[in-house]
Amino acid sequence: MITKSRVNRIQILGLLTPGLLLFGMFTVYPIIRLFWMSLCDMSFSSMLTQPYAGMMNYREVFQDTTFWTVFINSVVYTLITVPGQMALGLFIAILLNGIRRFSVTFRVINYLPVVTSWVIASLVFRYIFNTEGLLNYFLWKILGITSSNIRWLDTRWSGLSVAMILGIWKGIGWNMVIFLAALQQVPQDLYEAAEIDGCGGWKKFTCVTLPAIRGTILFALIELTIGGFNVFTSIKMITGGKPAHQTDTLLTWMYYKAFSTGKFGYAAALSFVMALSLGLLAIVQFRMMRNKNE
Amino acid sequence: MKSRNAAKIRSAVIRYMLLAAGTVIFTLPMIYMISTSLRPNGALYEYPPRFFPKWEALTLENYDYILHQSKFYLNFLNSAMVSVSTIVLAAAAGSAMAFVLGKFKSRLTRILFGFIVLTMIIPGTTMIVPQFELATKLGLVNQLLALIPFYTAWVIPFSTFMIKGFMENIPNEIMEACWIDGADVWTVYFRIALPLASPAIASVSIFNFLTAWEEYPWANTVINDNSRRILPIAIAGFFGQHQFTQWGYVFAMSVLTLIPVVLIFILCQKFFVQGLTAGSVKG
Amino acid sequence: MRTFKKILAVMLACMMLLSAGSALAEGEAVTINFWHHYSAQSAENETLMNVLIPAFEKENPGIKVNAVSHEWAELHDKILVSANSNALPDVARCDIAWLPEFQKMGVLVALDEAMPDFAEVSGKLLDSAMSTAVIGGHYYALALNTNSKIVFYNKAMLEAAGVEVPVSMDAWIEAVKKLSGENANGQQVWGWNEPALAGWNICPFIWSFGGALTNEDQTVATGYINGSETVKAIETFAELVKAGAITGFNAGDIPMTDGFGTGRYAMMLEGPWKSAELAGAYPDVAYGTAPIPAGEGGSISVLGGEDIAMFNSANKEAAWKFMQFMTSEYAETEMAKCGQIPVNKTALESETVKNADYAPFIEAIQTAKARPTVAAWSEMDNGLQVALHAVVTGEKTAQEAMDELASAWDALLK
Repeated sequence: MITKSRVNRIQILGLLTPGLLLFGMFTVYPIIRLFWMSLCDMSFSSMLTQPYAGMMNYREVFQDTTFWTVFINSVVYTLITVPGQMALGLFIAILLNGIRRFSVTFRVINYLPVVTSWVIASLVFRYIFNTEGLLNYFLWKILGITSSNIRWLDTRWSGLSVAMILGIWKGIGWNMVIFLAALQQVPQDLYEAAEIDGCGGWKKFTCVTLPAIRGTILFALIELTIGGFNVFTSIKMITGGKPAHQTDTLLTWMYYKAFSTGKFGYAAALSFVMALSLGLLAIVQFRMMRNKNE
Repeated sequence: MKSRNAAKIRSAVIRYMLLAAGTVIFTLPMIYMISTSLRPNGALYEYPPRFFPKWEALTLENYDYILHQSKFYLNFLNSAMVSVSTIVLAAAAGSAMAFVLGKFKSRLTRILFGFIVLTMIIPGTTMIVPQFELATKLGLVNQLLALIPFYTAWVIPFSTFMIKGFMENIPNEIMEACWIDGADVWTVYFRIALPLASPAIASVSIFNFLTAWEEYPWANTVINDNSRRILPIAIAGFFGQHQFTQWGYVFAMSVLTLIPVVLIFILCQKFFVQGLTAGSVKG
Repeated sequence: MRTFKKILAVMLACMMLLSAGSALAEGEAVTINFWHHYSAQSAENETLMNVLIPAFEKENPGIKVNAVSHEWAELHDKILVSANSNALPDVARCDIAWLPEFQKMGVLVALDEAMPDFAEVSGKLLDSAMSTAVIGGHYYALALNTNSKIVFYNKAMLEAAGVEVPVSMDAWIEAVKKLSGENANGQQVWGWNEPALAGWNICPFIWSFGGALTNEDQTVATGYINGSETVKAIETFAELVKAGAITGFNAGDIPMTDGFGTGRYAMMLEGPWKSAELAGAYPDVAYGTAPIPAGEGGSISVLGGEDIAMFNSANKEAAWKFMQFMTSEYAETEMAKCGQIPVNKTALESETVKNADYAPFIEAIQTAKARPTVAAWSEMDNGLQVALHAVVTGEKTAQEAMDELASAWDALLK
């Protein structure tokens, strides 16, 4: 076959080279370097020598109480925002799937938060949830539900809640679009068959819709889990980790350790643990969804 | 039949009402942002707080400041340059890789593709420490050029992954015919594969544009100079300096930053949906 | 094929640009990189870029200065990371609190060893300010400017509440309580604002109450940070927070300047830069200044300020010239016009300084103390913030929190 010729082999290599160079240099190399850094002692006194230190950084990470605080924060953030966005996104997709007029308009509007950048959205939310902000005024003076200003941003769980509300608000549109596409591909005769069997709305949803879109659910689940652990900008902008690092997440804590206290080895170990566990989690999610359906 | 129609109408009414409620929730923060950007800075701690400013208090002074006193144009140009360079480089490198990985299958290309997809699992920010070290070694710190190769490298796995699906759908017969005509790989790539995959490349490019346009952690780490800042850092810089925040400026700049994105989004809506769904339905 | 060649050419050009990026910056003359944290739109930055650097370059043909402005915290982070990859500037203006860390990393030049004329140059600068540059018996920087914090109070609010400007700590406690409550709109007001719980914020109270952070040699914390005076200071502060008289360190609070300008905070302890900010953002607010109230330990504020330091990788000759220039009478007087309190003895005598807004600060500087000059300070400071947070929220008593902190600090000070 002609593709076996030398010219073509060189040309294939030529097509791969630019991408592989960029990818290798700016993604693969940093991953390897990250692993190596996590095994070295890199802090103020050792910055210029960077001696090999074995598992020292990993031990330090796991013995650090703040690490466990921020770890729980990240897990809670992911456990709440991922199902939250998926459920609401799917719900809106189902609503949209049943209407004809204005479908595109609604879709565009619902997608606007997704294209709004994290920096901007975070600042808007911070402004709204300020102790003296609009929301508190609304709840207290207009609705009369509360009897004082709620300190949304000042405690661990309320501060994280604001970030989680933002995360859900910003993520619904993305879920809506992919679920809508999936719903449109569900064969109509499946629903008709279910109706003949006497299935109600909820039954149709659980027995027909959900199994039919399981591939999309899996895709969203994996993507959003990665996104949930990647939360950084919103935390940095909304609470800045206050009070006393109680609202920090894995990445903002890693960033603080690296760039404010100079503990690069610690930060590298933390990053590496995170990357590794996410990889394993993705594989597990993949397996679970596969097995369920076979 | 009549009752069935009534049920249908009722269900449609409920649907529209719920969707309208959703619309309010989705747009309120944005409207509040715009309304805040239109009032004087001094009125931001006014009492009682207002969702809409008083009619007579409406002002464009924040926009005036952002457009004339700040380095907005420079930041805007920086952002545009970085985003456009990123999407061009990523489209070129990503489509070439996707073509090879999608059309010349061997064990090697399969392993390579698997590896590329695997790296998509790792959150980008976890690599910030070694990446910063790399940037300083290459002398790229505080250069706009420090952003482009990193952004490109970040979006290449996603771009390759998305475009590869399109490349695979190109019928083998077309390619066979080319080989028989004596065409080489490059010719097939440029003449056949690129044009056929262009819708995929377009939708991938929109996502890459968004990524580069709104990226914050890396740019914030690597860029020092005010004149080299891209928009998200410039906005964040207005916030919280010296324990006071001129929210009017922050939001005026935010609105100006969002305009191109929203325009692109509305104009290219079709590609957006294509791009998103191509990945998800394949699963 | 032609298209491909074009693309290839563009890519090659990009790659060459990539590699040339660093080379281009060099140029013919010696260029020294100067990193600082004068904020970009400030008068200081204007003076630096348009007055000082041109004057220096005129005096020293063949030396170019590339000045880069950073955010305060960001500059610290940048230097840490750049040290790790040998990308440091030649000279930097550093917060006095950072020097010990940089020294420990081994990136600073010991000026008294490297520069034969060091004694002559440093002799022109204030001794107290130069003390911030001594680590382990060597000088690692020149003092550049100094500052401290004094009380700013809202005249109208004190008058309305019938409160005298507090001179003693006891009077301060009463005043802060009395000034808190609700205003005519029914909004909460606070007697005192403290924008963070770091050492910079809490040290003046600890010292004025007669407490201390560590021993003189900065080797032991037990018995000092958990000593009875320190604990008393922290208890008092926490009580006032719980009573709703002090706020400002929470993420959702009104920022300090906005709150003071709009009459929500009656008093605050701030530095000389605040006058200019208030004049710019809230020109209508009438305020006065006073020294920090005196307690058992006297009226002791915290010493701030910046030093100018040289890094190992620098072009030492050119860098030293620039450092001498920046601490000269001329440069210090120019900077004094924008509110930077000089450390050059001759500049301090000038009319500019005597008539400046910050004249009240010069008195506070006489008695002010510096925070510990140890490398572990940022970690210690973080521990202090966490501990204080636990106290003001009532999770721990001041004694418990400080006892824990003392043993953690002891370990860090070793």
